[in-house]
Amino acid sequence: MKKFYFVMALLIVASMILTACGTPAATEAPAATDAPAVTEAPAATEAPAATEAPAEVTQEDCVTEEVFCVGVVTDVGKVNDKSFNQSAWEGALKSQEDGVADLVQFIETADAKDYAKNIGTFGDAGFDVIVTVGFALGEATVAAAATYPDISFIGVDQFQAWEFDEDAANDVANVTGLGFPEDQAGFLVGALAAAMSESHKIGAVCGTDVVPPVWRFGEGYKAGAAYADGLNGTTTEVFVVYHSDVGFDKTFTDPEWGAQTATSMMDQGADAIFGCGGLTGNGAITAAAQAGKYAIGVDADQYLTLPEAAPRMLSSAMKLITPGVADLVAAAKDGSIKPGNFTGLAGYAPYHDLESEVPAEVNAMMEELNAALLDGSVTTNVPPVKP
Amino acid sequence: MDWRRFGFIALIIIVLFSVVVFIGQVKQPPLLIITSMLATTIAVATPLTLGALSGVFCERAGVVNIGIEGMMLTSAFFGWLGAIYSYHIFGFGNWTSIILGVVFAVITGALMALLHAALSVTFKVDQIIGGTVINILAVGLTGFLNRQLFFGQGSVFGGNVPGSPGVLQTLHIIPLTELFAPICGASEICLRNIQAINRVFDQKPIALAAILLVFISHYILFNTRWGLRTRAVGEHPKAADTVGINVTKMRYANVIIGGMFAGLAGAYFTIESVPSFEPLLTNGRGFISLAAMIFGNWTPIGAWAAALVFGSSQAMLINMQIFRDVIPPQLAFLQESYIVGLTPYILTMFILTGIIGRTTPPAADGVPYEK
Repeated sequence: MKKFYFVMALLIVASMILTACGTPAATEAPAATDAPAVTEAPAATEAPAATEAPAEVTQEDCVTEEVFCVGVVTDVGKVNDKSFNQSAWEGALKSQEDGVADLVQFIETADAKDYAKNIGTFGDAGFDVIVTVGFALGEATVAAAATYPDISFIGVDQFQAWEFDEDAANDVANVTGLGFPEDQAGFLVGALAAAMSESHKIGAVCGTDVVPPVWRFGEGYKAGAAYADGLNGTTTEVFVVYHSDVGFDKTFTDPEWGAQTATSMMDQGADAIFGCGGLTGNGAITAAAQAGKYAIGVDADQYLTLPEAAPRMLSSAMKLITPGVADLVAAAKDGSIKPGNFTGLAGYAPYHDLESEVPAEVNAMMEELNAALLDGSVTTNVPPVKP
Repeated sequence: MDWRRFGFIALIIIVLFSVVVFIGQVKQPPLLIITSMLATTIAVATPLTLGALSGVFCERAGVVNIGIEGMMLTSAFFGWLGAIYSYHIFGFGNWTSIILGVVFAVITGALMALLHAALSVTFKVDQIIGGTVINILAVGLTGFLNRQLFFGQGSVFGGNVPGSPGVLQTLHIIPLTELFAPICGASEICLRNIQAINRVFDQKPIALAAILLVFISHYILFNTRWGLRTRAVGEHPKAADTVGINVTKMRYANVIIGGMFAGLAGAYFTIESVPSFEPLLTNGRGFISLAAMIFGNWTPIGAWAAALVFGSSQAMLINMQIFRDVIPPQLAFLQESYIVGLTPYILTMFILTGIIGRTTPPAADGVPYEK
């Protein structure tokens, strides 16, 4: 029996340690110790620095008034992830090329529990703007904003709810959330899907509609299809399915469900599938691509991030992070930046491999529509939240 | 055969299908709806069926296995890892890599089961705790390795998840379309119907294997010497021991067989359904397959039927949203997806109360054997 208790104890301890490492929780994970090493390495030197100032600008100069420094803290992952992190970093690089920023640096977060530490590294170095990438960094960003009141924080995809509540105590003076008109992005790809569909049936597989951006993607998709129908004189049936039957912990991480739902839609004749909802959506996109239908991605150009689906990737409903970050950095420099929510721009990704399949008139319609959404002559009529 | 139970299960499935057909018929021909739902049902039921078979083998031999979820998750990860490594690092072709991935998954399942068997048979640990350990271990192990191998500093793939060699392709085993093409002749409707029916039979390899394995398992458990010994060990190990059956060996073997089923279920997620791994992607399906096993009264065919009930309720959920705009107001409550989503759980509770016949676990289920 003694042996048994020993084995049990060993296993339980082992599994607890592994669990702690596997999920963002306390305890020191091996990866976390690597993180400071990244911070110390002046990553900016790797980047093709456009403005080679006569005297080399280093991180030490950031404390001075004259040197304008921008730091980017990524979500878990790398700055070359071809998605959010990369787009935000390119936004920072763009501001450097535009002569706005004198020094740009990034810290790649290796573990979710290092968010605060990584933001603090830039904060202590006296950076002028800190860009935090991704919804997950929202809390850490607002917390850091209180610690460093003189620094402007830009939270990519971080909705600042305090702007809308009554309690002034929650207000944060130096955080700007960069949000995106998801309905417009959905609208664009909805129109494209409807114009490209031969069966005049298209589908969207989304995460839960309780999350407003997801719902806006889905509703925008419907509205876009209807708009294209109006132009082309077609009638397109749009299936939008939200994964609302499970909790928040599962709704975005269920690729199997996404694939099954997409397959179900394709059984009923859908020949273009829009996957909007993290990994659940990715499952749908992959299933559509495998069936040889049109697959449409979300958030970033998923042609680059989902190699399995790339050959059938028609486009992606994009949040244009790069110009949004660059604009906000410029606003931070000239002092016109406002705390609260800033709405960036939406767009659609290039057709890549399917370029030759998209007829010239569809492409023309898309370009027109994109311009019309930008200048406001076409509106999606999607309310901000589900009524 | 427990006809009352099967009748009940069939009734539930028919009701679920009828509701969808009733609502959807204004948009789609009923045949198309039924075949599409059937195809979804079979695909969704695949991991549940395999998980339930895993449970049947373990518990028939007297070892409770609530670690199926963990076994599935670990196998899904290592199967996927095996496929990726074979493809990118060792330079095998697509198909070799995919098949190696499945083999890896099954081996991983067997190894996890070996751990469970060692805990519960040799060390006589409380089997619920042993299973829980496996579940917790799986979450930690896969989450940790997934991060270290693909996102960690100095990872082989430089922080990017590499493209996978792909997934198992749909098999066209029963050539319905080809057989009926001459009969249909020029009839457009006939051809379309055949194509719709064909959809049910065009399944991916693991989905087809799962169905085959249900019947093979049934045969093994109830018509072979091995099966008789397995059941003897699970019902009355002392008696089995007396007639010279090695209880320890039988239990080990069956738990490992069960683990291999769970491994195949894991392969379904990352090698057959979608070519990627996400932490926690099994999303509790291992526990649902346990419910299916109980629902099916510890028999392979019963468990399969139960898995089909769960599958069809998910197929219904998906279709309810597809037909959202034609749902009559009286049935609008079905749109609240959690109501339909609850069906399997409510049914399981009904079953457990014994309304449609008693559910009897193997007598020595969960009891370590002491000589």
